[in-house]
Amino acid sequence: MKIFIYLLIGVWLLCSPMLSHASLIQEKNCSECHRLSKDGNEKSGPDLFYAGNKFQASWLKQYLQNPVIIRSAGGTGDPDFLKGIEANIQKHPVLSKKDAGQITQELMAITLLDLPEEVDRLELLTKGQKAKIKYQFERTFSCISCHQSLNLTGKVRGGISGPSLVNAGNRLQARWVASWLNSPNMFSDKSRMPIYKMEDETRLQLTQFIMSLKNENKR
Amino acid sequence: MTKSSPTLILKYCVFLISVSIAGCSEKSAEEPRPPLKAESHSPAPLAEATPEPVVVSEKTRETYQWYCAQCHGIQGKGDGINAKFLTVPPRNHTKASYLETRTDEQFFEAIKLGGLSVGRAPCMPAWGNTLSDSTIHELVRYIRELCQCEAL
Repeated sequence: MKIFIYLLIGVWLLCSPMLSHASLIQEKNCSECHRLSKDGNEKSGPDLFYAGNKFQASWLKQYLQNPVIIRSAGGTGDPDFLKGIEANIQKHPVLSKKDAGQITQELMAITLLDLPEEVDRLELLTKGQKAKIKYQFERTFSCISCHQSLNLTGKVRGGISGPSLVNAGNRLQARWVASWLNSPNMFSDKSRMPIYKMEDETRLQLTQFIMSLKNENKR
Repeated sequence: MTKSSPTLILKYCVFLISVSIAGCSEKSAEEPRPPLKAESHSPAPLAEATPEPVVVSEKTRETYQWYCAQCHGIQGKGDGINAKFLTVPPRNHTKASYLETRTDEQFFEAIKLGGLSVGRAPCMPAWGNTLSDSTIHELVRYIRELCQCEAL
């Protein structure tokens, strides 16, 4: 009987943190602005049902305590998205350090699938490769028309209908960027971004270029 | 030839190179440009132009709002939310004086293969992997509706 009671206490101790994490996402009502599963219509905030694949935990924790605008035209599900009404753009609620830590842990556990490791062991781009892929980012694939990024002098340039990529290297996971470029439909039924069919080498170099964009390189 | 000629030629070459590599958000890109070949990422080859009259469906009007309006604006006036961030302004689809000088095939190619394919701005991406040929034909017709013009 004693063993049974100890076992019960052990199970309760193991499960209670998981239960409290789940309840915090519910408690904070994140699903009001974010989809936590692929079902239903897009909401005003970004989808979170693959948050653990997409974001870097350190960035998430920081963002939840000190939110910044990433989509300065609002979310694509926002009715005013195409009108460019800045006053209507909602800033994310500020969370305490403790809550941010807990929700980050919880979000990082929400993954859709294991993404390919193809970007994990790539060699650094040479100067020439960097210049070429930057050219392709701007001209061949026209990414800069909808995404803000940094030019060669570290100045912010680009359109605002897509999320800003200025700090993509700190915000996103390289595996997710490479997977999104390969097959956005895996994550979103209908994004506003064109679908590209690029060579794997180009796609991985483009991923490396995007991951090189960081706030600390901004001037 | 004077002594300074090689320097002048060098400066001219540097200027030409710098203009040619500038992207959509840099202030040195100008229109019009001479026609350029589509770059290597180009999607499938162009389909033959459809001979039958094309009817613009409601779905295609929504497609315009979903994808094109980001730059070209809700009413196609070239004033979408990205417009002010681009050096080469998105085309105003209500401006007949320019659009009547372009053929439907040029529109089709620009949408399917991107702006560079018809010698226009690189800001316009290729939509050939996103939209079907028939949707692109309908979008061409919708632009004709917006400008209330036909190719001369």
